[in-house]
This record gives sequence, structure tokens and C-alpha cells, in this order.
Amino acid sequence: MNNLGPNGFSRRGLLAAGAGLLVGPGAARSAGVDAAAWSPDYVRKIAGTLDVDTAAECAKIVPLNHTGKVTYWYVGPNQASPQIDHDIDAQFWAAFAKTYPNITIEKQSFDYNNVLDKIRTAALGKSAPMVARLTLLWAPELAAKGFLQELRPEDVGYPTDEFWPGAMKSVTWKGKTYGVPTNNETMALIWNGQLFEQAGLDPAVPPATWDELVVFSRKIKEKTGKFGYGMVARRNAGNTPYRFMPQCWAYGGGALDEAETRPGYGQVYLGNAGTKAALQASYDMYVRDKSVPVSALTNTQTENQDPFIAGNLGMMISHPSEYAVMVDRAGKASGEDKKQADAVVANMRYGLIPTGPSRRAVVFGGWNAHIFKPSVVAGKHDMDAARAFVAFMTGPEWSTKLAWSGSNPGNTRGFRTSWMKQRIEQIKFLDVTTSMLTAGIPFPVIPESAEIMNIVVPDMLQNALTGRMSVTAAADNAAKQVKDLLNLG
Amino acid sequence: MANARPGLLRRIVRHRADYLYVAPALLVMLLVIAYPIYDTIYLSFFNTPPNLALEDKIFIGLGNYQRILGMDSFHEATWNTFVWTVFSTLFAFVLGFGAALALNREFVGRGLMRGILLIPYVISAVAASYIWRWLYHSDFGVIGAISVAIGLTENPINFLDSTDFVMASLIVVNVWKEFPFAMIMMLAGLQTVPDQLLRAAQVDGAGPWHRFWHITVPHLKGVTLVTVLLLLVANLNSFTIPWIMTGGGPAGASEIWITHIYQLAFGRIRFGLASAYSVILFIVMMGMGYFYVRALTKGDAK
Repeated sequence: MNNLGPNGFSRRGLLAAGAGLLVGPGAARSAGVDAAAWSPDYVRKIAGTLDVDTAAECAKIVPLNHTGKVTYWYVGPNQASPQIDHDIDAQFWAAFAKTYPNITIEKQSFDYNNVLDKIRTAALGKSAPMVARLTLLWAPELAAKGFLQELRPEDVGYPTDEFWPGAMKSVTWKGKTYGVPTNNETMALIWNGQLFEQAGLDPAVPPATWDELVVFSRKIKEKTGKFGYGMVARRNAGNTPYRFMPQCWAYGGGALDEAETRPGYGQVYLGNAGTKAALQASYDMYVRDKSVPVSALTNTQTENQDPFIAGNLGMMISHPSEYAVMVDRAGKASGEDKKQADAVVANMRYGLIPTGPSRRAVVFGGWNAHIFKPSVVAGKHDMDAARAFVAFMTGPEWSTKLAWSGSNPGNTRGFRTSWMKQRIEQIKFLDVTTSMLTAGIPFPVIPESAEIMNIVVPDMLQNALTGRMSVTAAADNAAKQVKDLLNLG
Repeated sequence: MANARPGLLRRIVRHRADYLYVAPALLVMLLVIAYPIYDTIYLSFFNTPPNLALEDKIFIGLGNYQRILGMDSFHEATWNTFVWTVFSTLFAFVLGFGAALALNREFVGRGLMRGILLIPYVISAVAASYIWRWLYHSDFGVIGAISVAIGLTENPINFLDSTDFVMASLIVVNVWKEFPFAMIMMLAGLQTVPDQLLRAAQVDGAGPWHRFWHITVPHLKGVTLVTVLLLLVANLNSFTIPWIMTGGGPAGASEIWITHIYQLAFGRIRFGLASAYSVILFIVMMGMGYFYVRALTKGDAK
């Protein structure tokens, strides 16, 4: 018989968390960020104003001499990641081992497009890891299926209001909380100023609207023969909705009503005029103008990186880490390729994602740390060790460092740290993507979200772009699928 | 009654040592084959929506089967599966048989050629799929670049992002991957054709075509049947190449039964529906298995 509390934590752990709340939250709350004042200037102003002692914060939750083991699955850096991501990953493991020398972490890193399938299957087979770091799209489904342990930020020593409300919403299912946000980000429009110039466009001015983006893409293709925009429409790839949904929301569309001020997820927007306008814009680029890669239907964002660094692609939507990726790639190139790559890096620009008739929108992305229920985990579940690990990972220090090149700290106290100041100084264009955080729209927080975003939306795009269906029929077909899926009549 | 056949129990007792020897293997088979089959059939009668834990599944009888048979995507996938299986099998067999005939003759470098032709078969299907994906790439693929360079086409050929060409492109990869299997099988068969018969026919004035048609082909009937059946089963079950190269796209143009089942189970989290689909595939496979066993045991004395 284990001595788990209502959330599955030990009584000692809960007392420690309570003590943490008494000591920490006052200071932590006042050290949070002011979303109303959010701007690049504000972010720069607050960076470096807070000192953090991670070990001391974690010790309030689980003693540093705790002995145990944690199994952990995550999407770690891969070959497409910049070198700095690999270095920070290694530093993280070394730092955790130093802080909790008696806790062993058995970690496994997976490919982004495979990890959800593996987690689902493992949990069904009662061999899930104790802790996993998963993208915010997946939590509702796993919580609804009863795989996740209830887990509030307070359980690992941090007040809930230190995290973005959108991020907290993504870990909430039927009023209960099932995770702690690790990092949150929004993407930006990235363009090659040199190609803009060759196409007769102002290299410093990005398309202001999605309609303009279609025009810019066509001009680049016509004038240079290069691809204008790096469309991504692959099925079963998270990259697709992250690029199409901002366009869809901008025109007044959506999957459900997720872009509205108070979404109820009871209305399907896929068949509305806004979605059809966004789909038409994609159709115009792919079919009419042929200004985007033909391979868009099988590409992920990774496949856009090579043509971009080679100067064959004008615009794409991605994370701030794309700059570090391009610098890395330019460093590895040689001869004429090196000259070309250096020119691309020198002319690389970041800007806000275009706006549309209804709004400027971007996906509120990010990842959360979850603890799985002992009943779906193989072997003995060490809840305190798991909590210690989550506390370490989601504190201001490591939620900032682990998000170094591509995201932002989920724990908003991270924005006040000296590491955030370093990031702003080192990472070009970080302020652009960071400034859009308050405008980010989370995907619908329902268990069917992964299916809608990764299958229904890409299928709609593919049906229209291949001419298998008209734009209207493709959107209506997708809307019908979602209505059937959610029993919305 | 002295000649009466002993009862089953008595026969088991009499051969208990034999049964003991095969028991571990039988147990493993029950665990890894029989139980999953039972569980799949059981699950096929339940609705398993993504917002429910599997324990809370809802019994719907034959509802999943009715739903599958009414799905447009099932009919499209069935047609694609038919095209994929028949053409992959046909071309792999013809190419493999041709290669076997060539390699059955004496010539300098025959061993080397045999080794080279086996390469596609021994390469990992995952690695091969990724390589072919880049060869075929609609914008930067080598094949497209060559076709433009030699003036064959104005633009790179759209192999994988076109609903018209994707299935044919995948079949080419599949045939390339599995024709060496047919080649090995047929080569083994060709080596059993009696030389005396071929020489006697030659003495009697039979030309190469007649010798091939009237002596070689009849001798290869058994191995041909087995090879074709094994290719059919392999192709019906083939997952790696279509999944890695296109994921069933674009717009479902390369979706075959097995990728559709995977998509339903792990993409759409409909384990009940995917189980019913798997049962349908299982029945088809069992039918093929029956013919395979018949072909293998044909002529066996009881």
C-alpha cells in the first residue's frame, strides 16, 4: 500500500508543497509578468531582474537527497535542431544529476510525429513512462482516457498564475489540471530579403495580410523562378495546422470556435466562409500560381529548411530557432554553397504573421510536463521523484534554458531571469515571436483535437490542392467529418 | 475392435512426450497469435471514441462492420489495395522470373550479378523508402532533375504529390524491393528442372521456346504458385513503403487497407473500428493462407 494523497502524492510531498506555497508564492506571484503591458520593450525591460536558485526551490518540494528513479519520454533535439539545443539538453541532464544525485532518469527521446502514437500504445499496454513532455494539443485526449495523474503547478511548488492562461487551459480537462507547462511559443513569418529584392519587393517589408502573402509569393515565383512561400500540407504532421490555422483564423475561419473570445467548442467553423477563403488562398498559391513547392503535400517544415538556406524559398512560417538552424547550416556549407548560405543568413528577416479580414492570429504552441498514473506505468511509480523532476524542469531556470532557441519559458518568472536577458541578446528576432504570445490562439481543448488538426485539416487541404474536391466541397467535407466526430448534428 | 482408432485423449497420453516437446512453442503461439486475434475480434464489436478510456468501450454489435462497409474511404482503399497488390505481385514475379532465367545460364560474372540483384531485398525497407522519397521528390528529386536535364520533361515529374502518379510510383519501389525474392524462389525452381528432359527434347528437335513452355514451365508450376501466393500475402500486408513515402496521401490516393487500419487505430484512435477492419483483412488473408497450404501440401500422401 503506498501512501498517496488525493492527487497520488505522498503526504510528506503535499506538506512540502504547502510549505513552498507559503514561502514562495507571494514572491513568485509578484515576480510574474504583466500580460497587459506585454511588448518587446517590456520583455527586454524585465529580463535580468530576478535571481533564481533552482535547487533551493526544488528542495521545498522534494528533498535533494531523495533516492528514486524516473522514466521519461520527450522529443529531444534531432538532426534538424541547432547545435545549441543539443548542448543545452546535455547541460540539463548534468544539472539535474547534480541537484538530485540519487534520482536516476531513464530517458527516451522520440521523433515528434511518432511520440503520440507510442504514448497511446504504451499507456494502453500499461507501460507508459512516469513523466512525459508532450505538446499541448495532446493533453485533453490522454486526460480523458484516464492516463494522466492530476498535476497542478502548485504540486511542484509554483502558483498557477505564473503560467499563461492558454497554457493552463491546455492541461485542464473537466475542471481538473493534468500537467505543468514547460514552454510556450508563437511562430513568426520568416523571409529572405535578397529574394524579395530580386522580385522587386521591399526587402524590409513583409506581407501585411494573407492576401498580400499570396501576391508576394506569386511575384517571387514569376520574377526569380524560386518558390515564394513554404506551404506545408502533409497529413499526420503537426507542422501543417501550425501553418494553416493562423491563415484560417485570420480570414474568420477555424476548426471550431477556438478563435472566438469565449470558445465553447460547440460550433464547427471548417465549412464557413472564412475557412473557405483561407483554403482558396492556399489553392491559389499551389494550383493557380504554382508559387509554392509541389512537394508541399509530403513536406514537413524540415523539408523547407534546405531550399531556404539554398536561396530557393522566399518565405516560411517557423520558430525563432530557425535562425540558429540556418546559421548552423551555413557554418557547415563550403564553396559556392557557403557563399549562398551566408547571403541567406545575412538577409534573413522575421516579422509578424500576416493579418486577415478578421484578425491577426498565430497558434499558441508549447509543451507540458505530465505525470502518468501508476496504473498505466510499468513497474513501481516513484511519485516524489517524478515531482522533483517536473519541478526542476518547469522552474524559471530550466523552462527558460530548455526553450533557448525555439520557444519561451512556460513559467513566466523565467522572463525575468538573466538567462532570458542572454537569450534576447543572442537570438536574433526573439522579440518578434515573443511579442505575439498574448495574441496566440490555442487549439481546441478537446480529446478529438489531435485528429482534427493532424488528419481532418490536412485532408481538407490535400483534397482541395490535388483537385480531388473543389475548395467548397473540401471545406464542407471536413466540416461534416468534425460534426460527425463530435456528434454535433 | 482391435483395429479401432484410439480416442483423442488416449492418443495424447500415448504421445505425451511429443506433446510436451511442442508445448512451449504452442504456448508462445497462443500468447502472441491466438490471444491478439481473439482480442481484435472482441474489440471489433465495440465503439471506442477518443474521449473514453478503453475500459469504457461501448458494445455496438456489428456496427463497426456496417460502418466500414459504408465508408467511401473503405471502397477507395479497397480499390487501391487491389491495384497495389495485383500490380506489385505481377511485376515483381515477371521481373524476378526473368532475372532467374538469365541467372540460370552460365556466364562470366554470374555470381556478382546475383549478389547485385539481391541488394534491394536485403536493404531495410525503411531506409529504402526514405531514399526513394528523395529520389522521387517533386521539387528537388534526382529523377526529376535528370528528366529536366536531358530534356525529357520541362519540369520535374510530380511522382508523390500527384493523385494520378503516386500509386504507380510506389508500386515501382515495391517491385524493386521484392523482385529479388521472386528471383531466388524461381532460381531454386529452375535448378530442379531435369537436364535430361531438356536435352532429350533438344535432340527431338524442340526449339528454346518449346523447351521452355513444355518442360520448364510445367516443372515450375508448384514453385510459381507458392511464390505468387507469398507475394500476394506480403503485398496485402505491406505497410512500410506506402506509409513512410506518402502516409496514404495525397488525398488518400495511396491509402491501402493496412495503412488505413493504422490511420484509424493510431491517427483517429478508433480501435474498435480498426479492429473490425483488421478482421476483414484477416478473413481475406486466411483465404489466401488456405490456398497456400493447399499448394504446399498438394500431392502429399496421407
